[in-house]
Amino acid sequence: MRILRDIFRRRLRSSLTIFGIAIGVFALVMLGSVAESMNRMVEGGTEYYAEKVMVSDDSGAGSMSVTPMSLSMIERIEEVEGVSRASASLSVLLDDLGAVQMGMPALIIGSDLRDRGFETFPLTLAEGRDLEPGDRRAAVVGADLVTRLEAEVGGEVELRGETFEVVGILGKTLTTPDSTVYVPLADAQDLFAEQLTAPVREALDIRDVATGLVVFHAEDVDSDELAARIEAEVADVRAVGPGAFEEQIGSMMGIFNSVIFGVGMIALVVGGLSVVNTMTMSVAERTREIGVRKAVGGSDGAIMRRFLGESALISTLGGGAGLALGALAIGALDAPGSAMAGTFLLSARLAAGSLAFAVALGVLAGAWPAWHAARLNPVEALRYE
Amino acid sequence: MDPIVTVAGLTKRYRLGKDNYVDALRGASLEIARGEMVAIMGPSGSGKSTLMHIAGCLDRPDSGEVHLNGRRVDQLRGRALTTVRGREVGFIFQGFNLIPTMTALENVALAAEYAGASRRDAADKARSLLELVGLADRMRHAPTELSGGQQQRVAIARALVNDPAIVMGDEPTGDLDTATSAEIVGVMREINTERGTTFVLVTHNPEVAEVCDRTIHMRDGIVEAVTA
Repeated sequence: MRILRDIFRRRLRSSLTIFGIAIGVFALVMLGSVAESMNRMVEGGTEYYAEKVMVSDDSGAGSMSVTPMSLSMIERIEEVEGVSRASASLSVLLDDLGAVQMGMPALIIGSDLRDRGFETFPLTLAEGRDLEPGDRRAAVVGADLVTRLEAEVGGEVELRGETFEVVGILGKTLTTPDSTVYVPLADAQDLFAEQLTAPVREALDIRDVATGLVVFHAEDVDSDELAARIEAEVADVRAVGPGAFEEQIGSMMGIFNSVIFGVGMIALVVGGLSVVNTMTMSVAERTREIGVRKAVGGSDGAIMRRFLGESALISTLGGGAGLALGALAIGALDAPGSAMAGTFLLSARLAAGSLAFAVALGVLAGAWPAWHAARLNPVEALRYE
Repeated sequence: MDPIVTVAGLTKRYRLGKDNYVDALRGASLEIARGEMVAIMGPSGSGKSTLMHIAGCLDRPDSGEVHLNGRRVDQLRGRALTTVRGREVGFIFQGFNLIPTMTALENVALAAEYAGASRRDAADKARSLLELVGLADRMRHAPTELSGGQQQRVAIARALVNDPAIVMGDEPTGDLDTATSAEIVGVMREINTERGTTFVLVTHNPEVAEVCDRTIHMRDGIVEAVTA
């Protein structure tokens, strides 16, 4: 209580300092939660891709372009030792590129429903049912897209101008499926066809087209080894196992994380410097009071503790305020249906870490002024005007 | 005589800059008996405050010996010096020097807490001392809400809270008008008589000296004369 009173004796300055720390923690929490969300997505992705190999056409242009491949490839892949099933998959962007998009783009994925049983990643349905063989114009909607598409089980949604019946809604996975609408392969093929120019469309047998194959394998087969074997044995395909995914994404995430946390830390360190400033001023202003405290028997330790306590309290208040502000902002921005849904993840470790860092910084920043106060010569301090 | 303070051959030089210094004390010696009330007088710069600070363990001499309450203290440093200062000496200053964010009660209790008393004990002691100096109805007031005389009474209560053997006053009436000044000296004399607490008062005011048992006159860093 007394410490609070001492801090708010210099109301404006203390408030500004607390505000500075709060902004630092706020920045760290906001940026950190973007990083956490990405990390979670990547972790989920790693899990999602762990037991499968993704095969795509490699005869054409760059690896990132979506090149259609023939379903005849399935037979050739399934001849490779260790492959238990190759399943056609066709992805189409839900929105045309150019729309404002954070994180992963929303996808429509058509898959061969006869191969549903091979999937090892646990997808749970929040409502309704999964797609079944024989379904047409039916969709299962990922958790993050529900509000945007105004999807409800039994209702209809419009996907790239076509009307689909919603049969199920997925539970939240915090990774790719959240921003995906699953449809039967044939429907995805129809949507895909509409994007092609007329001559190309006529030259293709649209029922023979996929954009990739998901390769499932027997339990004792290593996914990465299998990917290498597929590339070696089948011409013109690119096979990607979980190792490649982790390698690529992992190093990218490393850089991403350091940049984001670096920026957040800078914000917080600037706040920390303002604690140094405030406490130094406070010590200078209260030189006489320190002399009095020493004259009436206050030890160096007692005086040091007092000033350290003040800076710790300032940074704790600032940290708490910043964290609360961050949580509120994330709550508002991440609300279902918002364009930024899924962009932020305020994890417990991020919250605790930010607060702990702010408090530690405050104590550290207060250490020199407090030590200086404790070391003052009482006679000189008492004479100080 | 049972001396409570004995100082012998004290010297203290303050450095103000390179080749620029002041010899505040040049071999000052004196003895103060237990239960005495003594005034120290002398012109500005004669070393009276420095002498009081060293005898009260606020400062250390360059050379010479200080015995306080039967113990040699001039060699003490750090924590030991703080402990002696906190428990055996009480200080009263010219500008009252109360902590502005604390109430009268908290100001007095603080000194007891520094000496190791629990919050409750410190508050109890502070309350009884504030009653003793006649401020029973002003305990919850902040220093700014008290008159100069009342603030100095709080400072006296604070000086007494750890039952020190000796109370030292550095111009305790310097900021007070004549009537209040007499009143404050009266309070101190009363405590001196009733509780046997030794008082050493550095002062410019002959009326304060008149109330005291003896007056020590200082000049140029030494004790020049002692008058009864």
